[in-house]
Amino acid sequence: MVFNSLDFLIFLPIVFICYWFLFSKKIKIQNSFLLLASYLFYGLWDWRFLFLIFASTLVDFIIGQAIYNSNSDKKRKTWLWFSVIFNVGLLGFFKYYNFFIDSWVDFISVFGYDLKSSWTLQIILPVGISFYTFQTMSYSLDIFYKRLKPTKDFISFATFVSFFPQLVAGPIERASNLLSQITTKRTFDSKQCIEGLKLILWGMFKKVVIADSIAPIVDDIFANYTDYPASTLILGVSLFSFQVYGDFSGYSDIAIGTSKLFGIELMSNFKFPTFSRNVAEYWQRWHVSLSTWFRHYIYIPLGGNRVGKIKSIRNIIIIFLVSGFWHGANWTFIVWGAIHAVLYIPVFLMGRNRIYMNTVVAENRWFPSLTEIAQIILTFSLVTFSRVFFRSESITDAFGFIKQIISNFNYESYQHPLGYRMIDYFILLGLFTVYEFRIRRDERAPFKFNSKIVRFITYTLVILGMLLFYDDRIDRSFIYFQF
Amino acid sequence: MKKIIIKSIIYLFLVIIVLEGIVRVFHLGKDTPTRFLDSYEVEKWVPNQNGFSVTGNRRQNFSEYHINKSGFNSYREFIPTKEGIEIALVGDSFIEGFHQDYYNSIGKKIEKEIPEIEVYEYGYAGYDFADQLHLIHSYKQQFDLIDNVILGIKFSNDLTRGEYQVATGRLSLESPINKLLKKSKLLVYCKSIGILDPPQELLYRIKTLARPSQPKQSISKEEILKIKQKKEKKYLTNFEHLISKYGYDKKRYTLLLDSRITSPLFISYLQKHNFDYIDFAQLFESSKHNTTLVYDRHWNNHGRELIAKLIIEHIKKKNNP
Repeated sequence: MVFNSLDFLIFLPIVFICYWFLFSKKIKIQNSFLLLASYLFYGLWDWRFLFLIFASTLVDFIIGQAIYNSNSDKKRKTWLWFSVIFNVGLLGFFKYYNFFIDSWVDFISVFGYDLKSSWTLQIILPVGISFYTFQTMSYSLDIFYKRLKPTKDFISFATFVSFFPQLVAGPIERASNLLSQITTKRTFDSKQCIEGLKLILWGMFKKVVIADSIAPIVDDIFANYTDYPASTLILGVSLFSFQVYGDFSGYSDIAIGTSKLFGIELMSNFKFPTFSRNVAEYWQRWHVSLSTWFRHYIYIPLGGNRVGKIKSIRNIIIIFLVSGFWHGANWTFIVWGAIHAVLYIPVFLMGRNRIYMNTVVAENRWFPSLTEIAQIILTFSLVTFSRVFFRSESITDAFGFIKQIISNFNYESYQHPLGYRMIDYFILLGLFTVYEFRIRRDERAPFKFNSKIVRFITYTLVILGMLLFYDDRIDRSFIYFQF
Repeated sequence: MKKIIIKSIIYLFLVIIVLEGIVRVFHLGKDTPTRFLDSYEVEKWVPNQNGFSVTGNRRQNFSEYHINKSGFNSYREFIPTKEGIEIALVGDSFIEGFHQDYYNSIGKKIEKEIPEIEVYEYGYAGYDFADQLHLIHSYKQQFDLIDNVILGIKFSNDLTRGEYQVATGRLSLESPINKLLKKSKLLVYCKSIGILDPPQELLYRIKTLARPSQPKQSISKEEILKIKQKKEKKYLTNFEHLISKYGYDKKRYTLLLDSRITSPLFISYLQKHNFDYIDFAQLFESSKHNTTLVYDRHWNNHGRELIAKLIIEHIKKKNNP
C-alpha cells in the first residue's frame, strides 16, 4: 500500500478511528492494533515478505536481551555480531546477491575466464528492507553501547520495527526515540493531529505536483540521452534533483504527519537541503535519519574526526561509499557516494563542515546575500552533477550522459513527452522554491502563517496544484521504495 | 477530537466552494450540452446551446461550441434549398468538432475555399454508421435537397450493428442524477482529468469480488486471425444490411475513411460495388506536421485543413469531372 493511493485514503481513517476510539484504553491493545495495521499495510503489498520483518524483529528482540544480560564483553560482542550478520545477511541476499555475483563474473572475465552468470537468481527486493534492518540493528547497537535498556514487551518492539508510516522508506528511527514513545501511553492531542494533517497535505503536494509531474520529463531525457543536446541533459538532471527531493521529502512529510495522527513524533528527515551553502550542510539537511545513522554507528565508532586528518578522511570516504552502496546494488551508487566524499573532504579540511549546523540561509533576513546565493547555486550544481550517477541505469550510461553534455554542447528547446507546456513546470518550480525559502526555518510547519485567510488560501492553492498537475498516466510509485 | 473533525469538515467544505469558483472563473472544466431524442428517435443536442469544450487539466485545448437549431455544432443553420449547393458532413466527434472553435470547423474551411457552397456538419460524438444512416433516413426531405453527403466511417467500430437502435447508454447521461452532478463544474473537471477513476475502479473491484474469476484462456495466433476475419465479415454484412434498410444514394454519398485502419476486405468491397470514398491515409501519412491534438486523439487544425482540402478536391472533381 502506498501513501498516494485510494487504498491508503480508506485505510488511514479506519485505523485512526479504531486506534483512538476502540483501542485507546489499554496501551497493549492499542499497540497490538497498531502492529496488526502495520502488518496489513505491508502485507497488502506482498504478504510473503512479512516473515522477513518478523524474523528481523524476533532476532533483534532476543539479541537485545542477550546483549544486556551478558556478563562479558566478548559475549556481548558475539551477540552483536550475530545481529549484524543476520541483518546484513538479509540485505546481502535480497539486495546485493546478484550484484556480487555479476561483479565477480565481470572481474573473472578480465582474466579471460568466461563464466556464464548462472548463479544469479530472480530475487524480488522486499520493499523497505534497507530501512527496517537498519532500525532493528540500531536497537541492538544501542544496547551494546549501553545507551538503551532492552524492552521486554515484544509487541511494542515489533510495533517499533514495523510502524507503518515509516516502515517502507523511513525516517530510520532510533529505539531511544520511537520505542520509548510506543511503550508510553499516548493521549490525543488535537494540535499535534492538525500539524500532522498539514504535513500530510504538504507531502502530498510535493509528491503529486513536484515529483510526479516532473517524472516523465526526467525519464524521457535519461532514457534517450544520446538524442539530446547539453541543454536538455542539464535540464533533465536538474529536474531530477527536484523530483527526488519532492518524492522522498514528500514521503517523509506524509510519514511524519501520519505518525503525528497517532500521537507519535518521528525525527525530521529533510530540512530544506536545496538551500545548503556547502556540501556538509547539504548532508545535515538531506536524508537526516540515514546520515545520523551512519554517523552514530559507523563514523563515530571508527573514530570520527578525533583521530587525525588522514584517518578522518578515511572515515569520510568509508561513510560515503557505504552510504552509496546502501542506496542500491549498482556501481552508479558507489560512484555517487565517492563523488560526495570528494566534495565533502575539502569542506572538512577547511574546517567549514560544521559552520552552518545551527543556522539557516538568510538568518534573520528576508533575502539571502549574493554570497549565499552563489553558495547555494554552487552546492546545488555539484549535488546535481552527482545525481547523473544516481539516476543512470549503469556506469556506462552515466559517463555517456556526461560525454554527451560535453560533445553536444548546444541549446535546443525541449518538448514535453506527454505534450504539456514546459513553461508550466518552470513557473511551478520557481514558485515552489520561493515558497520553500519562505518556510525554510521549520520543516515541520509548512503552513505557518499568522493570518487564517492566508493559510486558507495556501491550502486551497496546494489542492488546486494537485488537480492541475495530476496525470493518471504517470507512474506514481516512490523512488526510495527501490532502496 | 470532535473539534478537529468539525474544523476539518468546515475547511474541506470551504476549499471545495473556492475550488468550484476557481474552476468556473478560469473555465477549467468543460461544458457539456444537453442531449435529447427527437420525434424520429434521432439522438442529438438540444438546440441553441453555447459553451466551451476543454481538454486537459490546465486547459491545454479550449474551444467554443454552438449548437444550432438542428441540434448540431455549427456556426450556421441547416436550410438546404433546391437552388443552392449544399454539402453534408455526417459523422462522429471528428465531424462534430467540439475540440475546435465552431467558427473554424472543417465545414467553414471548405466554405472559405468554395464560397458558393454551404457545408452542414451533422456530427455527434459516438455516432456510428447506423446512427448516420438513420439520421439521413429520418430527415429524408432535408437530405434529398443536399447535393453531396460525406459520411465518416471507421470500419473497426462503426459497423458493429446492422440496425439502428436508440443508444440508451449515452442518453442515460441525461439522467436526473447525472444532470445534478454536472452542475458542479469541479466534479466535471475532476472526472475529466481522471481523478475519480480510482474510486470508480475500487467500486468495480468490490462488485467483482463476489463473482468467481474466470480462468484466462490463451488464444493462438490462428484463432485470433479467425476471430478477426469473422468480425470483418460481420461488419460487412452489417454494412450491407444498413444500406439496404435505410437507403444509400451512391451518386450523392461518399465515405470518408482512413485505409490504414480499414479492412482490405471492406475496401475491395467498396471498389467492387462502386462506392465512392475519400481516403485520407496517404495525406496524413505524408504530413510533416502532427495531424492530431497533443492531448486528444482528434484532428488538430492541420489535420482538419487536410481533411477539408481532400473534400474540396473531391467536390471539385465531382462537379467538374
